[in-house]
Amino acid sequence: MPTEQYGYELSVREVLPRLGVELVDIEGFSCCGEPLKSVNQMLTIHLSARNIAICESQGLDIFVPCPMCHLALSEAKAILSENKELLQRVKEKLSAEDLSYKGTARLYHTVDLLTDIVGIDAIKAKATKPLNGMDLATHYGCHIIRPSILGRPQDSEDPAGMERILEALGGRSSHYPEKLDCCGGPLLPNHPDTAVTKTGEKLKAVQEQGFDGMVLACPWCSKMFDSKQKKGGEVVGAQLSVPVVYITQLLGLAMGIEPSKLGLDLNQSPVVKLMEKMGVAF
Amino acid sequence: MSIMDLTSMAEAQKADRQELEERLRKLSLEAAEKCYQCGKCTSGCEAHKLLELEPHRIVALTKAGLFSEMTSSDLIWTCVSCFKCYERCPQKVAPVNILFALKNLSVLNGKDVPGNYTAMLQSAMTIGLVQDVQETVDRKGAVRTRDSLGLPPPPRPKDMEHFMAAIMGTAVEKV
Ligand code: SF4
Ligand code: SF4
Repeated sequence: MPTEQYGYELSVREVLPRLGVELVDIEGFSCCGEPLKSVNQMLTIHLSARNIAICESQGLDIFVPCPMCHLALSEAKAILSENKELLQRVKEKLSAEDLSYKGTARLYHTVDLLTDIVGIDAIKAKATKPLNGMDLATHYGCHIIRPSILGRPQDSEDPAGMERILEALGGRSSHYPEKLDCCGGPLLPNHPDTAVTKTGEKLKAVQEQGFDGMVLACPWCSKMFDSKQKKGGEVVGAQLSVPVVYITQLLGLAMGIEPSKLGLDLNQSPVVKLMEKMGVAF
Repeated sequence: MSIMDLTSMAEAQKADRQELEERLRKLSLEAAEKCYQCGKCTSGCEAHKLLELEPHRIVALTKAGLFSEMTSSDLIWTCVSCFKCYERCPQKVAPVNILFALKNLSVLNGKDVPGNYTAMLQSAMTIGLVQDVQETVDRKGAVRTRDSLGLPPPPRPKDMEHFMAAIMGTAVEKV
């Protein structure tokens, strides 16, 4: 997860414990290795297996708020359960750090943790500030919905977890044709203009269809739709003004938590519009 | 110039082809041979909409064993790894993973790695993170650090010496 999307981290740390999820910070973790898969996939498998092994040594399941990290860990698990030779190689590497990999830890992403473990009823019970019928475009992040062969937490063509949460909070999410389109983020290092063009095009579609904002669950996508919204608008020739929030920020607002505790002063998009519609003072 | 323009005179690289098939097998992925060139992957490809990547051609060239044309092209680095091609392929072929294999092969052959991959690699091997902790700015433009936001320092490998030794060993290995 990029070490700058602090609105996600702050809101996760604020909201989940109030819903009965105990978060444990794990010492010794490293990057999941997914950004290095293009350079050498063996590094990705090694780094992901390493993180899984560390959690397993403490008997914990893993909460992975970033879809990209979630995919890296899921893929490492799948590959190592199928291929004994690779498994042996990885085990030897990890033994250098006194780690032993089993591949039994379960993985959760933010949305399925909320819908399946916390549960919609528990969410409803804690929500005091309704969304007042707001219609929000959902954007999941490619890696949390595809490839389904690796058992992704959300449906690949019709993801619905955030829609269920929005409804529970008194809002809704209409379908829109661009829903599954990429944010452009992975193109940022090599083709920055093309990257923000993708960002701008999707936001423009969301704005033109009259949504009150966009809600997402991926730090990379937020970096594009929130942080780079202005740039995206310039590239596609549109005056963009779409509030973009993390699902955990929105949930926190609905639970009556103070906006600054949810990192809402870090969003670059006009989130105040959205808070006004909920009657939250900022 | 597109990849296809370069292929007319090209010769197949059998060893690379064999190695790629072996890699797909190790990762429990379908062989490129299964592709019947329906083009469905390209019809939804996120990198095709704005750039020129055509995953069905990547698979065709793979089947034909024409690797050097692909590994020396910048095109393979435009894939955004959205996984739509793999998800939607009626034959369960994974162009996205063939592209990862081609990029790995290109790096192995000593081709220049585009973008900031070198920096990420170096960072991962020395501090365990592809990017060190960043500052951010709030909506008013004020700089905010993890510390000022009340966030704990992020975790890092505890035994740095052994971590680095292990990861450097992996960096020179293949899948
Ligand atoms: S969708 Fe599958 S079968 Fe069709 S061209 Fe692409 S890789 Fe080949
Ligand atoms: S994963 Fe890459 S090749 Fe496949 S559809 Fe997405 S951008 Fe295109």
